Amino acid sequence: MNLFRRSLLAAAAIATLGATQALPAQAADPIKVGLSGPFTGGSASMGVSMRDGVKLAVAEINKAGGVLGRPILLVERDDEARNELGVQIAQELINKEQVVATLGYINTGVALASQRFYQEAEIPVLNNVATGTIISHQFEAPKAEHNFVFRTSAPDIIQSAMIAEEAVVRQGFKAPAILADSSNYGQLGRKDLVAALDKRGVKPVAEEKFNVGDTDMTSQLLKVKQAGADVILTYAIGPELAQIANGMAKLGWKLPMIGSWTLSMATFIDNAGANGDGAMMPQTFIQLPTTPKRKAFIEAYQAAYKIDRIASPVSAAQGYDSVYLLAAAITQAGGTEGDKIRAALEDLNTKVEGVVTTYDRPFSATDHEAITSNIPVFGVVKGGRVVPAHPEDLEGDKALRVKTKG
Amino acid sequence: MEILGQLIVSGIAVGMIYGVIAFGYQLTFATSKTLNFGQGEALMLGSLVGWSLVAVTGYLLMLPIVLAFGLLQGAIVERLGVRQAIKTKSEAGWIMATIALGIIFRNLAENIWGRDALKFPSPLPEAPLSFAGINVLPMELAIVVGAIAMMVAVEVFNRRSIYGRAVVATAGDRDAAGLVGVNTSLVITFSYALSSLAAAFAGVLIAPVTLTGATMGGVLGLKGFAVAIIGGLSSGFGVVVGGLILGITENLTGFYLSTGYKDVPGLLLLLLVLSLKPSGLFGKAAIKKV
Repeated sequence: MNLFRRSLLAAAAIATLGATQALPAQAADPIKVGLSGPFTGGSASMGVSMRDGVKLAVAEINKAGGVLGRPILLVERDDEARNELGVQIAQELINKEQVVATLGYINTGVALASQRFYQEAEIPVLNNVATGTIISHQFEAPKAEHNFVFRTSAPDIIQSAMIAEEAVVRQGFKAPAILADSSNYGQLGRKDLVAALDKRGVKPVAEEKFNVGDTDMTSQLLKVKQAGADVILTYAIGPELAQIANGMAKLGWKLPMIGSWTLSMATFIDNAGANGDGAMMPQTFIQLPTTPKRKAFIEAYQAAYKIDRIASPVSAAQGYDSVYLLAAAITQAGGTEGDKIRAALEDLNTKVEGVVTTYDRPFSATDHEAITSNIPVFGVVKGGRVVPAHPEDLEGDKALRVKTKG
Repeated sequence: MEILGQLIVSGIAVGMIYGVIAFGYQLTFATSKTLNFGQGEALMLGSLVGWSLVAVTGYLLMLPIVLAFGLLQGAIVERLGVRQAIKTKSEAGWIMATIALGIIFRNLAENIWGRDALKFPSPLPEAPLSFAGINVLPMELAIVVGAIAMMVAVEVFNRRSIYGRAVVATAGDRDAAGLVGVNTSLVITFSYALSSLAAAFAGVLIAPVTLTGATMGGVLGLKGFAVAIIGGLSSGFGVVVGGLILGITENLTGFYLSTGYKDVPGLLLLLLVLSLKPSGLFGKAAIKKV
């Protein structure tokens, strides 16, 4: 191709973009993507794993030539799990950095407070860790014409149903007790759990509360013991979950613990030590090479960050996958306009092979949840790591679990 | 009966933690009528410094270093935050200054140690001991014994040694003590150093049970303050009793009433004491002569 024809083609391309379009982006102009999560603070182990998963995927994509021939540029911001800081960051990313989409959010509260700005600016948000059930429904029709909030994590409504099923059906416990912290996360989760148990015809024999930062669980545990519970179901975060496990050891008594995915947090596993062994939780990803994609991901992650155990494998995998979903959508949209990316996400016609699952039309106009209840499996803490609770769940062709069409 | 016993025993262990922190408030209040509102942060810093050292030195060798660190940290707080306020007889300058220093220390700790909860290796076995069906961790016993030992040591020092008498004299009447040759400003610096030493010691004592981390000081500092008010800021004995009252009430409420209201009765008690006996259950009413 000679120079003349090339410039002619370029001119034609510019012309087709239309007169209303401002100066077209140059080929090397990066695509700016926002990343918001807590990289310091109590949820940092999840935030940092998510960030590192995202960065790994971005590096891979850029190495392979980027998206639409343009590299992805991440604009990372630490929201410290604080709602007001998340809001500030959202405004900065939208107005100053002019990102085409944002990935992230570990904390339901931060997500709910921040994503309204993206909704108003018509810029898609992919929640890749936060689990509050309401997150993807905040701007559903008829509240808004188009919903710009998507999610690649397992919402609490799925997790609580899984916990109830595991405890009541699979393991046959009759008298569950619920221990939840007094935060939004804990109390919304507790409500979901009670409802899920109710569906199975079981009423919790005790529902106890504690504050984030509490160090003594004696009175809560004694109430659970007196109520005659046979299993403890939890909705809380790492350090207090560890106090529950350690508190039982102190009372010389142990009940199985089954709870939300936060039982896989490093702060639980490390602080509870042997007392935490046996705790079970739903996991979208367990650090095991059960598929070729997972094997490649684990090896790449370990090599990139020079670690053996991923602090929060679930966050890392969901973060990694969220980048590939976004990249596929931008490619399909053929541009970076927010509304086009949203439309492409809702009608993704390429299969995206991810770590958690293979995403085959993960979203639709009315369904913004990539994870259905058949995808997560139960993990169990064993010797400082999370391993599959029922290895048969991940055997053979069951290793890759794809979304059921509703 | 066993349950009641268990609740009380656990309450005593928690209460003793509150008591030691309150003891730190009481030390500086006695000499200077000021408080270190960064007391919780002093505890946190002691605990985290101890956490960094314990892997290298072991628990026993770590203690004197942490105590020395506490002394230094307290002296710094006094020099930077309190001295000027006392000199100018400012009524409130030290309040903001000690709170500000507390925040600075917390930010510093967040940057050095991160904000995750860390496990502090226990120097004693972690298996519980059982007495007549009541379980207690060896480390909880160590907290009670260690706290009492430290408070007794400080009291003996104050009553027996010449330096301690200077502290007592300053506590009694700062101006008169100054007239008979006591370097009262040095005594005040020393009382701050001693109060942070108490906090740092408490930090490494409780960390094996409570976990450690940059944010551990907030709630504990506040509860310790409540205990100091309940027991009386002028009474070393009062803060111990105040601590036990709060610790045990919290546990009993959590069990017999609701775990959702665990913190309420202690705070009600605080309000009650403030309205009926503002100087605290064991405090001496201060008569301010004008």
